[in-house]
Amino acid sequence: MKRKEFLNRLIGEVSNFLLEGNPLRMVISLHQEEDGAHLSFFDDRKRSEEDLKRIREALNPKHTRPELAEYYGMMAGHDTSWDARLKLIGWQIKHATVRNSDSGVQIDLWLGSDAFNPDQFTIEKDS
Amino acid sequence: MVEKSERIRYVSLAIILVLTALAGILSDGPATSFGDFLTIQSSGARLIQDFTAIGIGGAMVNAALVGLLGLGVVYFSSVTLAGPTIAGIFTILGFGFFGKTPLNCIPIMAGVWASARFAGKTMGSYSLIALFGTALGPLVTYIMFEIGLPLPFSIPLGILGGFVAGAILPAVAGSMLQLHQGYNLYNIGFTCGFLGLFASSALRAADSMEDISIVWNTTSHGTLVFLIPAISAALCFLGAVSPPVGAKRLYLDIRKLQTLSGRLPTDYFDAVDSGAPWFNMGLLGFCSALFIAVVGAPFNGPVLGGILTVIGFGAFGKSLRNCWPVVLGVCLAVVVFGKDITSPGPILAVLFVTTLAPIAGEFGILAGVAAGFIHLFMVESTAAWHGGLDLYNNGFAGGLTATLVIAILHWYRTNRTKEDFKS
Repeated sequence: MKRKEFLNRLIGEVSNFLLEGNPLRMVISLHQEEDGAHLSFFDDRKRSEEDLKRIREALNPKHTRPELAEYYGMMAGHDTSWDARLKLIGWQIKHATVRNSDSGVQIDLWLGSDAFNPDQFTIEKDS
Repeated sequence: MVEKSERIRYVSLAIILVLTALAGILSDGPATSFGDFLTIQSSGARLIQDFTAIGIGGAMVNAALVGLLGLGVVYFSSVTLAGPTIAGIFTILGFGFFGKTPLNCIPIMAGVWASARFAGKTMGSYSLIALFGTALGPLVTYIMFEIGLPLPFSIPLGILGGFVAGAILPAVAGSMLQLHQGYNLYNIGFTCGFLGLFASSALRAADSMEDISIVWNTTSHGTLVFLIPAISAALCFLGAVSPPVGAKRLYLDIRKLQTLSGRLPTDYFDAVDSGAPWFNMGLLGFCSALFIAVVGAPFNGPVLGGILTVIGFGAFGKSLRNCWPVVLGVCLAVVVFGKDITSPGPILAVLFVTTLAPIAGEFGILAGVAAGFIHLFMVESTAAWHGGLDLYNNGFAGGLTATLVIAILHWYRTNRTKEDFKS
């Protein structure tokens, strides 16, 4: 899949999710590397611990699901009229961290090819 | 490495499939069952060809072998045996009673595999498309045995036709999904119907397309009547013991499943940690069989196929709560249009309309009833469009219905002025 299309999907779905909270500020930051990328999303709406846990679980599924990622993952970010479904992108990324920053929620997504090396990125294992 | 819970699922499904075959063999005897099984491979497979009219034993052996083929695809694709794959296996088991055979499924699966190789994906990524894509099996059988070419030419041509159809499926399936946004559970049925339009048109252009005919067994053989309650009871038992979480927890988890909309992809085995999805499947099986018994429809191949599909999707989007409104919609349409509910079209629509269950689950009872109502008169027309080549005709009609309903709701949601920016 083209990198542009993949990033569009992820940005669309997470933006959809954050916009459901009606934020006054939202920032998306992309850092591309040779075999991977890091996407950061920030808004100005802090979430409860329970919400953060729910988001974390959706973005970090217990099992890899290639049959769902490849086929149903195509719906991610396509139509933002409906409720966001973070699970659709959880199956397609390498890792995600979710936390409250100073002003609101911060979601970081790490994605890449099968050759993706997480050691080259600053992934926080406990978040 | 397969986890323990998944091993239990594999063993359970394998036992169900083997017992189905054994029940058929015991019913008709080994020689008759094997002979009928061979006859089924070269019989017409387009809608609606009830294999139980050829022989109960042969049909049950055929269905079980198609199911085992699906289970093998899941295992060797190294994907999780959970909601979507279990739905796929029960669906192809069901359609093994009216249209699918190992012979007509394998070329399509090979085509999907080739497509995965071409795109640099694993077979696991396209495994669901390989399972459900066998809906185009009749295309293979039709080219092989019904267009009148000598077998040395028609058999390779049939294999090629299935292979090409399978290779195209992954490219089209994703686009079709965007149309209804996951509110039609049988998306590959929608896709195959779309491809079937082209295939049947090509055959018509070559003057090789026969009109569709219906072979419908009107007798209910004891083995077939017994099959669904037996499978449903086994699934409920499995739900209670796998894993043993206690009655209260099981009850709460079953209730939780009823609250989910069922929109694609909702894997019930992901939603709860108990055996509630198995129990949900069993409940849907019992209710479906009860409905068929009450209205007095026969327990024949297509009806069993419909019930087994409902059971399968009891792990992947269907529940009693989101199914009954769409079923009610079909029943209302049957009354309004003065149809006989036990005749082939309406009774299959009652079972397969549950493809639209997520509409009721997400937008409520009225939307579900309306979708079910529309579905009946759509499904009665669509089989002729693709010449019966798409076994999931209800998935095709359901996709059209869901696309209409979702387009209207989408327009309504995006044009509410109260949510505009102030000017």
